[in-house]
Amino acid sequence: MTLLTGHGFWNPLLWLAAAAGVTLLALVVWSRGRRDYTRGTDRELPFLSGEKMEGAHVGGGHLYWGFVEGLRPYVERLRALHSGLVNDYVGWLVVILAVAFLIVLVGG
Amino acid sequence: MNLAAHAPILAVAVPLLGAFALPLWAKLRPSLRDLWLVLVAGATAALTVLVAVQVYTVGIQVYTLGGAWPLDTLAPGGFPIRIVLAVDALSAFMGLITALVAVVGFAYAWRYLVEDEGKTLALTLGTLLWAGMLGMAFTGDLFNLFVFFEVTSIAACGLVGYRTWASRGPEAAFKTMVMYTVGGLFVLLAIALLYGEYGALNLAYLARQITGSVVDRIALALLLGGLLMKAGAVPLHMWAPDAYGEAPAQAVILLVANTQISLYALFRVLFTLYGGVADPAIGWLVVALGTLTLLVAALMAVVQMDLGRLVAFGAVSQIGYMLLGVGVGLTAIAARPAYGLVAIQGGIFHMLNDAVAIGLLFLAVGAVEKAAGNRNLANLGGLGHDLTWTTGFFLLGSLALAGIPPLNGFASKLMIYQSSFLLSPILSALAILASILLLAVFVKAFQGAFLGPKLSQPKPVPVPMLVAMGVLALGVLALGLFPELVVRHLVAPAADALWTGRDLYLRAVLGR
Repeated sequence: MTLLTGHGFWNPLLWLAAAAGVTLLALVVWSRGRRDYTRGTDRELPFLSGEKMEGAHVGGGHLYWGFVEGLRPYVERLRALHSGLVNDYVGWLVVILAVAFLIVLVGG
Repeated sequence: MNLAAHAPILAVAVPLLGAFALPLWAKLRPSLRDLWLVLVAGATAALTVLVAVQVYTVGIQVYTLGGAWPLDTLAPGGFPIRIVLAVDALSAFMGLITALVAVVGFAYAWRYLVEDEGKTLALTLGTLLWAGMLGMAFTGDLFNLFVFFEVTSIAACGLVGYRTWASRGPEAAFKTMVMYTVGGLFVLLAIALLYGEYGALNLAYLARQITGSVVDRIALALLLGGLLMKAGAVPLHMWAPDAYGEAPAQAVILLVANTQISLYALFRVLFTLYGGVADPAIGWLVVALGTLTLLVAALMAVVQMDLGRLVAFGAVSQIGYMLLGVGVGLTAIAARPAYGLVAIQGGIFHMLNDAVAIGLLFLAVGAVEKAAGNRNLANLGGLGHDLTWTTGFFLLGSLALAGIPPLNGFASKLMIYQSSFLLSPILSALAILASILLLAVFVKAFQGAFLGPKLSQPKPVPVPMLVAMGVLALGVLALGLFPELVVRHLVAPAADALWTGRDLYLRAVLGR
């Protein structure tokens, strides 16, 4: 059942056993928490930026906003290359063909 | 008739002829068409499995068309002039992948496609695409490789432009058609050059004759250009998100398998046809393009707001992992270190894992589109309240694709990380970075579409679509929990076919 990966191994069943152990530990810690918690009260409502907003939804465009913004300078350059113009698509094919020619004729 | 001996040609002929009969049955009655499709798909899948069993238990299966006996590959005079099918473990492995995605795709299409929107056309083109993929996987000569390359191209373009009532589908089909045509011409020109030089088209015969002359090298560059384009390697991938984003969901998983078949053709050219004059520089080109593909596609996925295009860039990214794994093996083919074989095993195993996980994601996106009426993450939310099964399937596919243990993507990615680390730690680091980016992308998509308060009332997802997704979800779990069994029995023989199987392949076809 153990997959040898060259310099290591991977056994999902061992991993599952370890995960079960960690889950058990987490349950033990959780079981020792406060017992005066009550469901269905205000403490379960989302609380965003100081405003109590019932039914608020963080849309897909807002999640990881900082992460996406951090990557934006790189991504915008890539996005510019994805022009949607088939001429550009074929142009890239010619570029890669030129690189391949260079490698097989000069490098090889 | 000895069915096992004729199984390789029947596996290609049955879907090819069956596809053309589908519209005729539909004219009589749509239910007869569905019954015919079940028969054709069942027979093709059974034949593909039969071929695979023969290959894995007996050895390479060779089938000659036009000969007195299927094993008569050589005409009198000792020249391989006839059309030959040659199925080794890698070909059989690819055949199994196409069978899995085609059967699941057709089951999904049963209730996903609408009769008035050209359902018969989509099913016909899907069956033709399957026949073309099997032909590419099983053929033993270069010209038929090109013929089936074109069969898959035509069928794929028809499927991409299926939604003729929307402007984006035909536009994506046009772009895909232009790219496939230019790439196909490169492949045809390469074949013409080799035919002009050696007067033969048989792959095994050419492999034995090729000396690495200037003409051989020009042909190699042309084959690389055409096949890398169809595999969707960056920067030749730009047609892929357009095509995946616009084709109906059951067709997209066939398109994903189609890119994998093109990868298979690339590996066949590099390891078998040009294996005698192997050049590490080509291996480095494949590694470089693989790394670029996995990283660029993952970065592009980060900013996508259309769920279909987001998953499409994830699919392109996975092609990078396959190229990286097999490319690492190609750079080391001369010295044959142990990590080279592990890299190839990882790359090939990832093909199966990708077909199952990305297939699951595309089908889940199709279910979301059918149920909620759109795929824009800005408008979706809270679908998990109603689409419980689809939510679970999307989550499972996302985690598998991001390589989260113990799901299936993890095992193959671990093999690729470890082996590419030994070639260069930077490669491994970039591959892991791309996986982290993909995890962030899919967490964003999952949270945006499925979690949060209910924004609208989606329609229920039909049961056959859920069953099709369920089959792939079971595949994700099974491949994840028992990777060693899959690698030992299916992947290792397929990897050996590339790593050490070249001489065996040539002897099986040429008989000496």
